[in-house]
Amino acid sequence: MNRKSVKIWMLMISIALLAGCGETTQGSKAESAIRDEIIYATAKDIHDMNPHLYTGSMPAQGMVYESLVENTKEGIKPLLAESWDISEDGTTYTFHLRKDVKFHDGEPFNAEAVKLNIDAVQHNAEKHAWIKLSTKIKNVKVVDAYTVQLVLSEAYYPALVELSMTRPYVFLSPKDFIQGETKDGVNGHHGTGPYQFTEHKIDEYATFTANEEYWGGPPKIKKITAKVLPAGETTFLAMQKGEVNFVFTDDRGADSIDVQAMNQLVDAGTYQLVRSEAMNTKMMVANSSKSESPVSETAVREAIWHTIDRETISKDIFEGTETEANTLFSSNVNYADVELKERGYDPGRAEQMLEEAGWKKESDGKARFKAGKELAMKLYYDSNSSSQKTQAEFIQNAVKGIGIKLDIIGEESSSIANRRSTGDYELLFNQTWGLAYDPQSTISAFTSEASYLHTTKGIAQADHLYEHIQEVMVSKDEETRKSLYAEIMRTVHDEAVFIPISSGSVTVLAPKDLKGITFKQTQFELPFEQMYFE
Amino acid sequence: MGSYIVKRLLLSVPILLIISFLTFLLINLSPMDPAEVVLRAQEVPEITEELIAQTREELGLNQPFLKQYADWVMACLRLDFGESYVTGQTVWSLISPAFLNTLKLTMVSSTIIIIMSVILGVACALNEGRIWDRSVRGVSFFLTAMPSYWLASILIWYFSVRLDLLPTSGMDSYQSYILPVTVISVSYVGIYFRNVRSSMLNHLHEEYVVYGRACGLPEKKITMRILRNSLQVAVSIFCMAIPIILGSTVVIENVFAWPGLGRLSVKSILSRDFPVIQAYVLILAVAFVLFNTLSDMINAALNPKLRKEI
Repeated sequence: MNRKSVKIWMLMISIALLAGCGETTQGSKAESAIRDEIIYATAKDIHDMNPHLYTGSMPAQGMVYESLVENTKEGIKPLLAESWDISEDGTTYTFHLRKDVKFHDGEPFNAEAVKLNIDAVQHNAEKHAWIKLSTKIKNVKVVDAYTVQLVLSEAYYPALVELSMTRPYVFLSPKDFIQGETKDGVNGHHGTGPYQFTEHKIDEYATFTANEEYWGGPPKIKKITAKVLPAGETTFLAMQKGEVNFVFTDDRGADSIDVQAMNQLVDAGTYQLVRSEAMNTKMMVANSSKSESPVSETAVREAIWHTIDRETISKDIFEGTETEANTLFSSNVNYADVELKERGYDPGRAEQMLEEAGWKKESDGKARFKAGKELAMKLYYDSNSSSQKTQAEFIQNAVKGIGIKLDIIGEESSSIANRRSTGDYELLFNQTWGLAYDPQSTISAFTSEASYLHTTKGIAQADHLYEHIQEVMVSKDEETRKSLYAEIMRTVHDEAVFIPISSGSVTVLAPKDLKGITFKQTQFELPFEQMYFE
Repeated sequence: MGSYIVKRLLLSVPILLIISFLTFLLINLSPMDPAEVVLRAQEVPEITEELIAQTREELGLNQPFLKQYADWVMACLRLDFGESYVTGQTVWSLISPAFLNTLKLTMVSSTIIIIMSVILGVACALNEGRIWDRSVRGVSFFLTAMPSYWLASILIWYFSVRLDLLPTSGMDSYQSYILPVTVISVSYVGIYFRNVRSSMLNHLHEEYVVYGRACGLPEKKITMRILRNSLQVAVSIFCMAIPIILGSTVVIENVFAWPGLGRLSVKSILSRDFPVIQAYVLILAVAFVLFNTLSDMINAALNPKLRKEI
């Protein structure tokens, strides 16, 4: 049981002691409290809603702003662009825009607005370096009022996927720009989306009201409020009382209330729990380039992989809310349906591998040594994540059984990100970018110093790997792309630099009679406009 | 007394300067490059060397350390604490509403704490050793030992969810004050009433009380005299209670989703939003120095002997 659940249980026991008499019907209270409105609990404020920067809450930005195209299960579909043509050499994208779209402030959405927005994003190119499309856009041309052309420096196959993301290629009313720019702030937050951003009290709440003029038809839920509730225990009680009626997984894949608390609310009969399909992979990242550490050896990494009992982690730590992951990408990710070497839970095999690699047990039969050096490593976890801490302790105990000493260290997330980019780590927890972004974003991060360069550069075929990554991003032929991706995935799998643990999904806890709860092809947004009360 | 006040105020200046220097040093003690901290705080997905260099330039981090410090102190005197790394808003616009919200909570709580501490302290001292004294001390021991987030959760459950009398969190109406103020007061009354009680007990056995009784002064009059003398000791404790509560509302603000200074500070620490952390530390330090000075002044006014000590 993690710390949060202990707190919830202790709370329950005290409540039982306190509540000696009287009847209580928590369920009916929540039921009667809110209708036709979603009030969701968020641990953090929604922050700056400027869609061309990165501090704002993605679910909130997703309600207000829209992109040219949408990423769906069936592939890329039209959104603000009705259709598009791609030139034969793959460098010119011509978009034909919808003609019935207006920004929330009444300004028309047209080719000029598209150009103005994309140019504003490009003027802040340094901040958008992670999205490779930003390095390839040469210029944006207005062909006529509702036709716009995007000219790239070279063919780039994920262009449409990157144009479909929550940010930065989404559109803000030209009236909100400050001297034609958005990088130093904006005057307002008017998008074209199904909801208008109406009120914001920092660290208290933000409200969004239905856009009755929405080109896709007005949404049925008329008001959405994001209420800031930093403590999971308060969120649980506020949901019981009905002051908030909706919670979902946050941007970082963390649930704001505990699994047991969610189950309790569902059992009370007022709420339903809806989970998306697997969206990302949670994993341990091994630093193959740390030559002085045992983690640079493939056999050691493979041994750790074999020692992790993913089934127990999934059942006992995540209570079945996350499923076991045995590969870096689950098979529903594009291009990831690749046959890879099976590497299940097998501590016996792990011990054998370590023996073969020269890591022998000393006389006490516990620790392993090679050339006088102990088989010891450090694993860093996010100190704010209770599940990571529990997993770290579980893994520490498991690898101890095969003679690996694992020190576990909790640090805050920015310090862990710093370790990842400077290479100052042996093992740390991380997760893939998730659906829509994968595999291209996680894979291009293999070559990026800020992300996984230190993870991958110590492996024997590193140069080959980087060449393949370079090629796949500009490849125009689907078959070549498939085989290149397969090659890349096989290389990192065989080298065991990314040790997968579980597949994470988006969780929604909502009133039982709320219908139309679906998910997007990203873990960062929810289609609120499709929801309605029955 | 006038010269005492001037001297006492002048003495605070070097203390404040040292605090401001240490606060400013914070940013340089971080193992991470502040420019990188800014970019991480802004959640920029990929941080390049060029971007770091550009940010250093923008933030003036290429300037010599002492120049940066001097510029910062001068700006702080104008209440300009810079801009938040995370949101880009001015620190003043973030910290002033949060400070006001916490101050409201602190002032209401402090008033209740002072009144309750005096009432309970006096009542216990006058009933020393009796059932009333023993039960108040027993209950207060139990309540102060209880973690405040714990007590808060139980109160929310009972009064908000079960009885449906109060809101669970937020600061929408005067009703929102009831639970957080209760939790804060319970923790501090238990500590402060003991001070009043023991101070009263010390005075109860002093010669002037025996003399007063021997002279046949009414008991009420004697009690009032004892109370007046005892409260002199409590003044400095109560004065310091205000900045202490001001700086320790983090847990309460988190549980009750109160948009105050405590929550802002934790958020800023987690995202290493240094300008906000610096302003927070500085404001609290100033509050401590001010209230400390104030308590010295009140004590000096009550006891002229103290004025000679500076």
